[in-house]
Amino acid sequence: MSAGGSGGGASEAIPQNKLIAFGAAGGLIAIYLSYFMVQFAGPAFSFIGALGAICAIVWGSAAVRRVASYGLGTGVPSIGMLALGMGVVATMFGLAIGGIAGPIVAFVTAMVIGLVIGALANRVIGMGIPIMEQSTTEIAGAGTLAIVGLSTAMTGTFMFDVVLTEIVATGYIALIFIVAGIAILHPFNANLGPDEKQDRTLSTAFEKGAIAMIMAGIVSAVSAGASAAPTIVIGLAIWYVSFSQYNKYVVRDAYDVVGTGLLPKEEEESE
Amino acid sequence: MAGVLAANFLYVILITLGGVLVSGSVHFVPVGGAPAAMAQATGIGTGTVQLAAGAGLTGLVTAGAMLNLTDSMALILAAGMVGAMIMIGVTMMVGNLVYVYGIGVPPASAKVDYDPITKDRQDIYVSQGTEGHGLPTVSFVSGIIGGGLGGIGGALVYYSLMSIANGMASADFVGLAAIFAVGIFFVNAVIPSYNIGGTIEGFHDPKFKKWPKAVVTSLIVTFMCAIVSVITIGGL
Repeated sequence: MSAGGSGGGASEAIPQNKLIAFGAAGGLIAIYLSYFMVQFAGPAFSFIGALGAICAIVWGSAAVRRVASYGLGTGVPSIGMLALGMGVVATMFGLAIGGIAGPIVAFVTAMVIGLVIGALANRVIGMGIPIMEQSTTEIAGAGTLAIVGLSTAMTGTFMFDVVLTEIVATGYIALIFIVAGIAILHPFNANLGPDEKQDRTLSTAFEKGAIAMIMAGIVSAVSAGASAAPTIVIGLAIWYVSFSQYNKYVVRDAYDVVGTGLLPKEEEESE
Repeated sequence: MAGVLAANFLYVILITLGGVLVSGSVHFVPVGGAPAAMAQATGIGTGTVQLAAGAGLTGLVTAGAMLNLTDSMALILAAGMVGAMIMIGVTMMVGNLVYVYGIGVPPASAKVDYDPITKDRQDIYVSQGTEGHGLPTVSFVSGIIGGGLGGIGGALVYYSLMSIANGMASADFVGLAAIFAVGIFFVNAVIPSYNIGGTIEGFHDPKFKKWPKAVVTSLIVTFMCAIVSVITIGGL
């Protein structure tokens, strides 16, 4: 099945390097800020972790958009699942051995695995996508930061002893896996086509990230280290803004938007 | 770290083998993607990753259930194998029911003129403008083989992870081993799906010959993931 790829690079209003900086730096800074604010100022600040996850999700979506526009030969969801598969392995490893440097160790580990997969995909499998190595590296890193960010939002910390009992043993890790995965793969999957625009796709990414944030907020209600209300309220606010923005872009990109009204009565002539 | 790796090196090898089995198994499963969902290509109408994940995770559940009852590796692998085979078999059977009675097309392969197993004629039953439709016998048998291999692979990864000595509480340990197994499984479901370009009819498909490429890729990638997961679990 075709992925609706145009067989070439996607046009970009925002260059990828800016998005890398936004996702990687924004994600890591937010995760650490969340951790320290929760330590020193209380659990109300756990929501910052989810903001980091949103940064990472937007970055991941942009990377998926770039690589999938070449046509992966299969559906776009595959690369999202690949991202989270690499991400979850790297996250558990990084947080388990890293301690305070956990997120950074996880991030680097994921990017190494991603680079290897990208290189093998081009050299052994022969996918022939020029940006495959860079993209799988980016997507693995983004997936990892999304997992760490959402975990931090749910528990208020990324220390592995807490994450292990509150996220992994409870099974919430599966929720994070699928929510972050969908958030990264869905924006391009939903918007792809001949008139796909970067800003419209990325506004979807913000909206999906906000949904992930709301879910993290709901989960954090049972955690002592995180508080649910700020995460859910801010998540809803981001969702509302990004969805309105997405709606504006849809209206902008559509040829015409008309109300069809109710079904015509039988005696009326249908035009 | 080095001590943990040395003590558990057998499990690193077994996890890698499990990942490679999963990767190879995907080539057997008849996947038609979106065209198959519209009955315009032979196979099950969904993506490779979803099918492989479905079969593999079912195998993981059945293997996990068996792990509660016994420590015998053979039984656990058999449980994983049978679970995945049942899942993929039911999926293909229901799919065929929908294709035959819902859409009204005969199961037919466009890649071969005669079914290699039943020797039934295929090409005259393929509708104009399609790449075959439904699941002919050869695809069904191939899918069952694929499900079995994938289930063994998934169960082997999980069994190996659950065999590593560590100091965790059992709930934490099961959760961590399961999510590692899921992560490794998804990576190994996507790699072959890129290799076959999203659609394949089974072992009679010319694309099937590409399997070594995916297996080599999975071997390297799973080996890395295995080292990472063994260090993580063994170090706790």
